[in-house]
Amino acid sequence: RGGGIQKRGAAVGGRGTRGGRGDRGRGRGGGRGGRGGKPGVKGGSKVIIEPHRHPGVFVARGKEDLLVTKNLVSGESVYGEKRISVEGLDGVKIEYRVWNPFRSKLAAGILGGVDDIYIAPGKKVLYLGAASGTTVSHVADIVGPEGVVYAVEFSHRSGRDLINVAKKRTNVIPIIEDARHPQKYRMLMNMVDVIFADVAQPDQARIIALNAHHFLKNNGNIVISIKANCIDSTVEAATVFAREVKKLQEERIKPLEQLTLEPYERDHALVIGRYVRAQ
Amino acid sequence: MLVLFETAAGYALFEVLNEGKLEDPEELWKAFETPQNASNTIKLKSFKKFENMASAVSSISDVLEGKLSDDLSNFLKETINETSIRKDKLIVADPKLGASISKKLGIQVLSEKIVIDLYRGIRENLDSLITGINADDISSMALGLSHSLSRHKLKFSPDKVDTMIIQAIGLLDDLDKELNTYAMRVKEWYGWHFPEMSKIVVDNLAYAKVVKAIGFRSNAQECDLSDILPEELEKEVKEAAEISMGTEISDEDINNIIMGCDQVISLTAYRAELYDYLKSRMMAIAPNLTTIVGELVGARLISHAGSLINLAKHPSSTVQILGAEKALFRALKNKNATPKYGLIYHASLVGQANPKNKGKVARMVASKSSLATRFDAIADEKDLMAELGSTCRKMIESRLRFLEKGGAPVTTTDKRKKQQKFELISTKPQYNPYADIANEPVEAGPSGTKAKESDDSDDSQMEVDSEDTDNDPLSKSEGKKPVKEREIKEQPMQIDEP
Repeated sequence: RGGGIQKRGAAVGGRGTRGGRGDRGRGRGGGRGGRGGKPGVKGGSKVIIEPHRHPGVFVARGKEDLLVTKNLVSGESVYGEKRISVEGLDGVKIEYRVWNPFRSKLAAGILGGVDDIYIAPGKKVLYLGAASGTTVSHVADIVGPEGVVYAVEFSHRSGRDLINVAKKRTNVIPIIEDARHPQKYRMLMNMVDVIFADVAQPDQARIIALNAHHFLKNNGNIVISIKANCIDSTVEAATVFAREVKKLQEERIKPLEQLTLEPYERDHALVIGRYVRAQ
Repeated sequence: MLVLFETAAGYALFEVLNEGKLEDPEELWKAFETPQNASNTIKLKSFKKFENMASAVSSISDVLEGKLSDDLSNFLKETINETSIRKDKLIVADPKLGASISKKLGIQVLSEKIVIDLYRGIRENLDSLITGINADDISSMALGLSHSLSRHKLKFSPDKVDTMIIQAIGLLDDLDKELNTYAMRVKEWYGWHFPEMSKIVVDNLAYAKVVKAIGFRSNAQECDLSDILPEELEKEVKEAAEISMGTEISDEDINNIIMGCDQVISLTAYRAELYDYLKSRMMAIAPNLTTIVGELVGARLISHAGSLINLAKHPSSTVQILGAEKALFRALKNKNATPKYGLIYHASLVGQANPKNKGKVARMVASKSSLATRFDAIADEKDLMAELGSTCRKMIESRLRFLEKGGAPVTTTDKRKKQQKFELISTKPQYNPYADIANEPVEAGPSGTKAKESDDSDDSQMEVDSEDTDNDPLSKSEGKKPVKEREIKEQPMQIDEP
């Protein structure tokens, strides 16, 4: 934080160059973004990259500011997001990928101003609810080559995409299993520093607690994205969040911070806690 | 007390040195706080490494189902001797697996609450406890094992990979270019010696074969070229060989030219093999798409889009003009008409149509091939019969016929169902109002007394009648009549008496 090197970069267009004729498709649909509004950064515009307060995360400042992470696999997009290429001081090209807060709850939390995400370079992260690996790829970028991301996803279709992401990023370990039975992937796991959970299940507190008991270090951290509709759609959102926090407290998870994900998501909250198993 | 711990690298059997610590789960974490404490509490008795990835995957999948795999049972039998089986207990993480182990080996098995803390402790200090393997090994094994296990779970079948198609079509294009270059070079080179032949034998493969067969043009007469060329061409070649104006060349030169021809011939054979391979792969990966547009065009579409799933994600209007992006954007920028077809132009269905109808047919082919691609990319159960593809193709062909000749236009549905008008036919018995006849009209009775008597009762009668008329509209007139009749009849009787 602070004193970061200011780098000038040029925004490069959207798609990864897969297949010999991929280049020709580059001009097409440049402004096409994910769901929700996306700033229309046109190809060729100049931006300045500076590090964010959270280590491993960066901000690209231009006409519009964008949240970016350093691309572990240069030259490729994971889900069609824009990439920014930068020439460093020693002439080495570094590429950054844009992180869309409308598609990723973690990015929404960071932009919302969360105190500490606890996901940093070199950490071991257990990611429950990895889906197709879009946010997992950004987490893998943040933890870097020394860290590990254990991505758990039960759906087979998303699992296929997750495996493709894991093929390119060797610090991602794909686990196609139900997170409700952490026993089933015990042979692939080491103890982790952080658990990130985006499972959207009504019993998610129990799932996270079970995984924490098995794999989370003492005084490790937990980052949960809670969707109020999914837990109980009849009650007001604030009540749902309070109930979930209480359930977590019963499982020896001490809540540290809670923040809503407005304006990116409605009735969603990010809860950060610490797992205190032994004093 | 023994503890079974499964890692990505193999199975580990630990022995608990200090069983007293296991009594108190709250304090057990202290025993594993540092590697030193951990090695005092628990010791590695034996470690069995997996031999290769395949055995690891099969073993671990068995363990996950709760079955006792062969290498695990062998390992346990080797390390646990008879006395231990009778006296000791074995701690296992999974209760199901524990049950199978105790059934097979006879040893007592535990898996309770204390187990979680114990396993946490072991997992935290795995590096120091397992001396035979270092951390990097375990993590790389874990990565490989996770990929293999996930593929095994997803029933990843290698013949459904579309990367093969993309590479094969790329190689096919490269081969074509190379073949053309080499053949041109051979023709030029040999043309120094025998220039007329390049005009007579145009085909590259035939030229190379002929050159290889005859060598110097002086040998052309004796050579039998019947299996390479048709008769007339053979005669022409032989005639031209006599009167050719090319220069003489040496043996060495002709040998090298023949080596070049060998290359052309072998490359052509390889290209044919590669084309067959591409056809079989296309039918395996995208049978419906292949049925509609053909192997080559289908492969080019997939290669252009990047993968089969990417092609499925494109709307059909994009599929229609894939390959004509330069013309598309130029037209969009200058507000001109956009191109009507891209790679789709080379599909046989589009080729068959009249130039006027090519645009319409291209659009139809694009929409149906989009449907077919989506089915091929995403459907769980692939059908090799390509039903969807054949129905779409038939539909397009009949529509093409209609466009060219006229006749009955074809709709997408096979059977033309006409909607029938909706009429509610009730099965319940309904109330028939016509069967209902209320009170018969009262007759204008006999005597005045009766009429007078009826006078008193008239009011009540009238009231009754009026009530009736409220409920039963049909009896309104009937109710009123008797009253009027009675009144009318009263008068004449009074006139008569005096």
